[in-house]
Amino acid sequence: MPAVSEGEIVAGELRWGMFVALVIAIIFGTVVWSAAVMQRMPPSGGGVIDPKTLHLSAEFSEANLGTAVGPHGAVFVRVVAAQFQFTPDCIVVPAGREVTLRFSSPDVIHGILIAGTNANTMVVPGYVSQVKTVFRRTGDLMMPCHEFCGLGHSQMIATVRVVAPAEFKPGPDGRAACAHG
Amino acid sequence: MTQDANDDRVEDGGALPNQVMREVPRGAFALALLTAGLLVAAWLAIYLWVFLPRGPVA
Repeated sequence: MPAVSEGEIVAGELRWGMFVALVIAIIFGTVVWSAAVMQRMPPSGGGVIDPKTLHLSAEFSEANLGTAVGPHGAVFVRVVAAQFQFTPDCIVVPAGREVTLRFSSPDVIHGILIAGTNANTMVVPGYVSQVKTVFRRTGDLMMPCHEFCGLGHSQMIATVRVVAPAEFKPGPDGRAACAHG
Repeated sequence: MTQDANDDRVEDGGALPNQVMREVPRGAFALALLTAGLLVAAWLAIYLWVFLPRGPVA
């Protein structure tokens, strides 16, 4: 055996194994720390809903879509993702406040991501996809469908308008919409 | 049988090939540590300076 002894090879392999274990511990520890301390987790568990009667449901009926502020100041956004558009196609949200976005689909699998943020989820018929986030910068953000959903997929894009808290003025019914025109 | 110090032939299991082979694992470990360490550093950098600044998600 021209190189090193069997014992030295085993010791080297063990050292390398310890290094790999350390790498895994660092990455796993970082993820666990951010989940436990900073509450950063994958979005999940929005509930189930019948896609055939989505438009008739209490939550995703047309009148209930868009941005709504609850009695305790919680900001909810409800959007229907359908071939090949989001309804509404522009949503307004305040910066610096937690926003809960809820999506559902009546037809095929869609997906959303909001550019420049970590908001990112699939939208699966029969389920409600929920993402909570805080928008830090004001401006218009693109929210495209990121799951190929048919020939019009590339046209399926919405706008998330993040406004300063002082400019976020929901109406008496607690609803806020993008100002068009 | 004599062997030149610069002779790199492995015809007789000479001292130089043995010495080179003994040094190889050390270099391989150093290279592996460096590359794996760079990967970990890149992962941490993206996590801390790209992922976290993009806002919370839950």
